[in-house]
Amino acid sequence: MNLLSLLIFIPVLFGIIVLILPSSMRASFKYLTLAATLVQLVISIVIYLNFKTCPGFGGINHEEQFQFVQKLPWINLDLGSMGKMQIDYFVGIDGMSVTILVMSALVMVVAAISSWEINSNLKGFFALFLLLDMAVMGVFCALDFFLFYTFYELMLLPLYFLIGMWGGARREYAAIKFFLYTLFGSVFMLLVMVGLYFSVTDPATGNHTFNIIHMMNPKNYIEGSVFSTLSHATILGMPARTVGFVVLFVAFAIKVPVVPLHTWLPDAHVEAPTPVSIILAGVLLKIGGYGIIRICMCIFPDAAISSAFWVGLLGVISILYGAFNALAQRDLKRLIAYSSVSHMGFVLLGIASATTEGVSGAMMQMISHGFLSSMLFFLVGVVYGRVHDRDIYNFRGLASLMPRYTVYVMIAFFASLGLPGFSAFVAEAFSLAGAFKSSSVNGLLPQWMAVCGAVGILLGAAYLLWTLQRMFFGTVSLKGGEIWKIALTDINFRETAALLPLALLALGLGIMPSLVFGKINDAVLAFVSFLQVK
Amino acid sequence: MIPILSHTDAQTVNFAIWAVVLPFAAFVLNLLLFNKNRIAALVSTVGIVVSLVLAIKVFTSVWNAPVIHAQITWFIIGATKVQAGLLLNNLSVLMLLLVPMIALPVHIYSIAYMKDDEGYSRYFRYLSLFCFSMLGLVVVDNLIMLYAFWELVGFSSYLLIGFWFTRQSAVMANKKAFIMNRIGDIGLLTAIIILFTLFGTFDIQALFGKEGFVQLSNIAAGMWAGPHSAIPAVWQYVAFAGIFLAVAAKSAQFPLHTWLPDAMEGPTSVSALIHAATMVAAGVFLLGRVYPLFIESELTILAIVGCFTAFMAATIALTQNDLKRILAYSTISQLGFMVLAMGIGAYASSLFHLVTHAFFKCLLFLVAGIVIHQMKHIKDDNNLDIDPQNILHMGGLRKKLPLTFIVTIIGALALVGFVFTSGYLSKDGILIQSFVWAEGKSAVFTIVPYFALLTSVLTAFYVARLVVKVFFGEFRLQKVNPHIHIHMGDGNWLYKAPLVFLAICSLFPLFSNSPVFYEDAWIYKSFLPSNFLVRENIYHTIIPILVNLLAVFVMYAAFAFYGKRNAWSFPQTGLLYRISYNEWYIDRFYNRVIVKFVMWFSNLLYWFDKKVVDGLVHLFTRIGKSLATIAAWLDRNIVDGLLHLIAGIVQAIGNFARRFQGGKVQYYLYSMLLVLAFVFIFKMIWT
Repeated sequence: MNLLSLLIFIPVLFGIIVLILPSSMRASFKYLTLAATLVQLVISIVIYLNFKTCPGFGGINHEEQFQFVQKLPWINLDLGSMGKMQIDYFVGIDGMSVTILVMSALVMVVAAISSWEINSNLKGFFALFLLLDMAVMGVFCALDFFLFYTFYELMLLPLYFLIGMWGGARREYAAIKFFLYTLFGSVFMLLVMVGLYFSVTDPATGNHTFNIIHMMNPKNYIEGSVFSTLSHATILGMPARTVGFVVLFVAFAIKVPVVPLHTWLPDAHVEAPTPVSIILAGVLLKIGGYGIIRICMCIFPDAAISSAFWVGLLGVISILYGAFNALAQRDLKRLIAYSSVSHMGFVLLGIASATTEGVSGAMMQMISHGFLSSMLFFLVGVVYGRVHDRDIYNFRGLASLMPRYTVYVMIAFFASLGLPGFSAFVAEAFSLAGAFKSSSVNGLLPQWMAVCGAVGILLGAAYLLWTLQRMFFGTVSLKGGEIWKIALTDINFRETAALLPLALLALGLGIMPSLVFGKINDAVLAFVSFLQVK
Repeated sequence: MIPILSHTDAQTVNFAIWAVVLPFAAFVLNLLLFNKNRIAALVSTVGIVVSLVLAIKVFTSVWNAPVIHAQITWFIIGATKVQAGLLLNNLSVLMLLLVPMIALPVHIYSIAYMKDDEGYSRYFRYLSLFCFSMLGLVVVDNLIMLYAFWELVGFSSYLLIGFWFTRQSAVMANKKAFIMNRIGDIGLLTAIIILFTLFGTFDIQALFGKEGFVQLSNIAAGMWAGPHSAIPAVWQYVAFAGIFLAVAAKSAQFPLHTWLPDAMEGPTSVSALIHAATMVAAGVFLLGRVYPLFIESELTILAIVGCFTAFMAATIALTQNDLKRILAYSTISQLGFMVLAMGIGAYASSLFHLVTHAFFKCLLFLVAGIVIHQMKHIKDDNNLDIDPQNILHMGGLRKKLPLTFIVTIIGALALVGFVFTSGYLSKDGILIQSFVWAEGKSAVFTIVPYFALLTSVLTAFYVARLVVKVFFGEFRLQKVNPHIHIHMGDGNWLYKAPLVFLAICSLFPLFSNSPVFYEDAWIYKSFLPSNFLVRENIYHTIIPILVNLLAVFVMYAAFAFYGKRNAWSFPQTGLLYRISYNEWYIDRFYNRVIVKFVMWFSNLLYWFDKKVVDGLVHLFTRIGKSLATIAAWLDRNIVDGLLHLIAGIVQAIGNFARRFQGGKVQYYLYSMLLVLAFVFIFKMIWT
């Protein structure tokens, strides 16, 4: 049994068990879900440990360099004169995916732990949760565009219901907004995907193929096809390959999210229940960044290089715009949602630089943000679960009431604002270093972008420290008075069990960045040299 | 790049690592085991004692010996190997020794000073964390780790300033300190990135060492060229600006100095260690580390800013009434002297002043702690509503705190730069060299040494004012409230020993055989560049004499003003007084203009986000919905309408035809005839 397939489909197995079990056993659902995520975590760690690193395993555009590959014919239709339709179940990982897999698996465990707070319609919740889990893992492993797209769309369904049914007061608004936003992107992605299918043939069989890796090789494009590098076809008067790149980029930019396509995020986060917020921020946003690297830039490297300036610019705008918006918030969850926008801007900036430092920094930022945003949303959930309020102005002096909780808040805040010793520092520093270096290495980004990005680090300190000072320090004063004081108990064992691993990992990656860099380095080098070949 | 270390060198490196790590071990131990336990103090103190012993060993083997540089690969990113390691040269081992030497007395003092505080063990935990960060900062060999420890120092300072986190003023102060330091951090990060881009390494020795990349680089034709590549010259200036911001933030130079006076909200022992002796000196240390980077004009900027800061802070210190605030401004002023010294090329004097200042300023802060503690006791015992830090309530304390008084005099004289003290050796050296520096430059630059001299005189005045108000005259609080209980004293040995130790270190013998000639000081000599100035200049004689004479005169004047009863006092009105008392309105400007603007801008952007960006999304929704409504209307009225129309027609015809089926035979016959007639007529017309 292939480990990746096991990793992807373990949640489905548990999901079926959850569905079969009678509702009278609903108390066991959360344990089943937790068990599923834990098994997944173990598998992902096994994969991580067995992941081989050396220049021969760079991956990216070399199919034979991918690891843990499984390739099975899935849909094969003989279309007569139109050839054969060939869709494979094709999964495999390289350095770009392996660390994200481990991160996602851990975030899923934390999300499962925080699902304890759900108390209505448990069967539905956990079944959807596990379905989502499967789809997410599938996205990071899929190497066939059709398979990728299937998983990608499959995520939407459970998320829509998870937000729309278990969310806050305006949950329906948030759910539909999220759904339509993402669908808007992916519908056009579908068109590009079909266009690519008709442009690319499998060199071995001569059939049209959805194989992503074949799509990276210009030799596989049929002469005169719409996306062929040689044919210079146009769509609506614009070069077809640029259009393809932009469409895919927009689809993934919505997920990241990149300003100005970000407004679904604060609403979705504010309304979503804590576990869904954790998955949303911890894993789903990374699909955007991952998609840009794996799909957008690798399939359209020429267009990626020529649009790098704009991608970088959007990154810088996201960093600053998100940070300024966070500064204006008084809802803690909304503040963190905007800070996510800001932090994900570094990912975009790093990727756009197309330097080893920048791309490594961007990958690190994705991993680091996965841990830290999960931690932050979990922490918000702790307070919200106790008093059902998140307004920063309604709290003061929580440090005296909940000292251990405050310690974790401080760790999460300082790690997020890039205190050295935590992962975000390494990530942001190298994203910026890459962005700065870019102009002298490949001339893609001007140097001022890095300097502007650095200002985002300052603003990050401003809004997080303000929150700390306003909410946690000072003498105790709560809007809800004595009732809140009794309700606001310090974190319990279950909550510590979720927070401690995240904090330790954020710290561990900050002190030993090689845990990530060591695994991704070959892929990053391959990626950067692949981009330069064009 | 991995040098092979000899056995002794390897041992030295190990000692240095342990000296750095031990306080961290104490921190971890306290965190995990002694969370609420008073043993924490002992753990931290033992940690720093051992650290001190190791630092002495390292110091003796490295001082004036070849540089030791050891490193291992930390991680690999792309093709760049990032190394982690130690760089032990004169500068770093001097700091490595200085930090535990100051930290130890502060630890001992704190055992007594903090004994009644609820957060006793938390305090020592933070203190150990600080010592670790500071020690790490001084020994690391690459810019990434330097930056890491640089921020960790700021972070532990944040924790300690906000130690009493339920106090609103304290948490405001630590937020401010961290954010202002963050401005500097961004500068440093930018500079690091620029250096990395140009030279491809973070290694301090490779960059700034002898024959290092920076020395080999040059600016020509608008490009800054390193050995491998070149970038536009403007980035050299940006790198300088970044370093300058970093220095200004950490060492409280204008315009980023305003966090330091507020940082006095932390426990006084913390102020003594962090905000007087060690952390604030980190900026000067950084200047020392990256010194070869600066070009002539940049050094001049440093000199001018340092001089201005020194002067400005001294003028503010003249009128403050908060004991710690005066000392804070005095610290800013002295740091200004150090930056000035760096700017004029008096590298050795700058570092020398850093060391001497650490001792006497730490001493003065510890004294302030004792005085404030005693005042607080009086306040608590008698339920008075006074500010225990306000010097206007004090007076005549020399009889009640005799030892404290004596050491204060030593510290104060050192701060003034009086002969026989360490401050004389270091500060007068800076003054002399600033005059030498200005000579032969245009008239504008001669302002610098004269302002430095003036600052020195102002220093004498505010120091004398402080000492007189606190220790001379009569106890004003008692005069106002004659019935209060007072029992105060110097305290036990935990208080006394650190004071005496620091006082001894504030005198000349530790630093030089000769009390008069700064050139003889061993620290000074070890940092000298090869082209150092011989004692040939007239300034070398005139300046010290002038400074001391002026100081004596000014101190006497201050004594006369403040010491005597019913003495004449300065008018407390007037523009100059207000500027000084309100700290040049700088903080007010920051709050009212910059902070307000940032908040306004962020609210504007949020409005934009809600109304414009999200508004567009909603507009699309509305357009979609309207289109849907129109489509529905069309569907209902046109498409369906057509259907209904046809149906209606059919129905109408049906209804019409139905009437012919009435069941009456006559009608049928009649209609048959009609149809037949119709057919015949039709056929006739047709043909």
